Amino acid sequence: MTARGTPSRFLKNVLQNGVGRYVCQLKRMSLIFSKNGQSSLGARNFIEEGVVDFAKKNPGTVVYVSPQPCRIPKIVAEYLNGSVREEIITNKTKQEISELVTKLSDQSGLDIIRIRKPFHTNSPSIQGQWHPFVNRPPSTDPIGPQKSQNQ
Amino acid sequence: MVFLTLSCWIRNRGPDRYWKVQEVLKNARHFRGRKNRCYSLAVRAVRRAFVYATKARKAKRRSMRTLWISRIAAASREHGMKYPVLISNLVKSSVQVNRRVLSDLAVTEPRSFLSLAKLARARQQEGFCAALGNGKEPPGVFSRIVQLQ
Amino acid sequence: MSSFSRSAQQWATFARSWYLIDAKMQPPGKIAAMCSIRLQGKHKPIYHPLSDCGDHVVVMNTRQIAFSGNKWEQKVYSSHTGYPGGFKQVTATQLHLKDPKAIIKLAVYGKLPKNLTRRTMMQRLHLFPDDVLPEEILKNLTEELPQPREIPRKLSEYTQEERDAFPMLWTPPEDYRMK
Repeated sequence: MTARGTPSRFLKNVLQNGVGRYVCQLKRMSLIFSKNGQSSLGARNFIEEGVVDFAKKNPGTVVYVSPQPCRIPKIVAEYLNGSVREEIITNKTKQEISELVTKLSDQSGLDIIRIRKPFHTNSPSIQGQWHPFVNRPPSTDPIGPQKSQNQ
Repeated sequence: MVFLTLSCWIRNRGPDRYWKVQEVLKNARHFRGRKNRCYSLAVRAVRRAFVYATKARKAKRRSMRTLWISRIAAASREHGMKYPVLISNLVKSSVQVNRRVLSDLAVTEPRSFLSLAKLARARQQEGFCAALGNGKEPPGVFSRIVQLQ
Repeated sequence: MSSFSRSAQQWATFARSWYLIDAKMQPPGKIAAMCSIRLQGKHKPIYHPLSDCGDHVVVMNTRQIAFSGNKWEQKVYSSHTGYPGGFKQVTATQLHLKDPKAIIKLAVYGKLPKNLTRRTMMQRLHLFPDDVLPEEILKNLTEELPQPREIPRKLSEYTQEERDAFPMLWTPPEDYRMK
């Protein structure tokens, strides 16, 4: 993986989320599973036991539970910035699914790509950035051969 | 070809060779010329690029350090000091600030850097007085000679 | 936060200064070393080889540079025109008489890094054989750099008191005849 060949971004947060108060960025989560499929056994267990607790704990998130005849149960998570993530939960246990759901609700919805620097600041300089006249004594005298002419 | 169901599409996916080629081309999409679309050219270039990337991971540390050093040298010259003088005197006064932070300070916080330069200058004067050995000390010096090397 | 706005801060940080160097009685190599540091921007803590942060340098009095030793006779500047038998060699004296800016220019050109930015940096070097500078350059100047070498004084420039105060290396005998 080369540096230019992979996408990258700088560390950032959505609208300084969490500096004052925190807004959960997960807007909508739909659980798609089959009513009688073998592979969505864990999903059904999670719906029986965990999904109501999750919805109560996250009042900012809409949780849809949609039974469909499908082989591959999945979670579709939509975020406030418009990005949509699909996670496949085939043959996953209840425990694994609840971990995955917590992870999705903690994410900000930004792309998960290489981050160039592990630090970021909105105000890089307190004292004012360096510029060519910071460490130079102030003077208004003319410079060069005109100096001797004026005196 | 049109596949209305996922299962038909997956069945049609064909031999693995196509996906193998895509794996390589994925890393070559930003290359110049035919290298970004022809497999036989791309595979060599991608291999070379990975070798460069592996070497660059080590070289980056070195080149960043030289960049920091040239920046600190420029900043310390502004305060009338050479780079080795500044660094050695900061080490002697046990200032545990590395070169990356020093160069960041020189750009973003020039006043803090100025005070560090003043500290190094004071330590240098102290060292000169100690070398003369006449028991004198430079006026207004707040640091003491620290033996930490 | 600084008192500048962000764009003004950017302009202030990357502002180009104009430096003036007086080359009167100065060694060309030292002048070139000072020039090349400023042209590359290596005197700024924001230096980066790709960021084109070099400054302008104005060198005046290039006609009155001073080589040490026998360089005026023995230093040879070579060039090749590209044609058969086109190898030219001139001494420093001949080159200086032909073009009083050439020695400084070649010295700076040799001290700059050998890459694509070299020609750009050379365009920010302004050479003047005398101390007459055009008005638009005079307006831009921000700082005059100190000369690298102290100009030695001639014997005629010393006053009589200074000459008398100079310590005698030996006492001439009574019958010593001064030339």
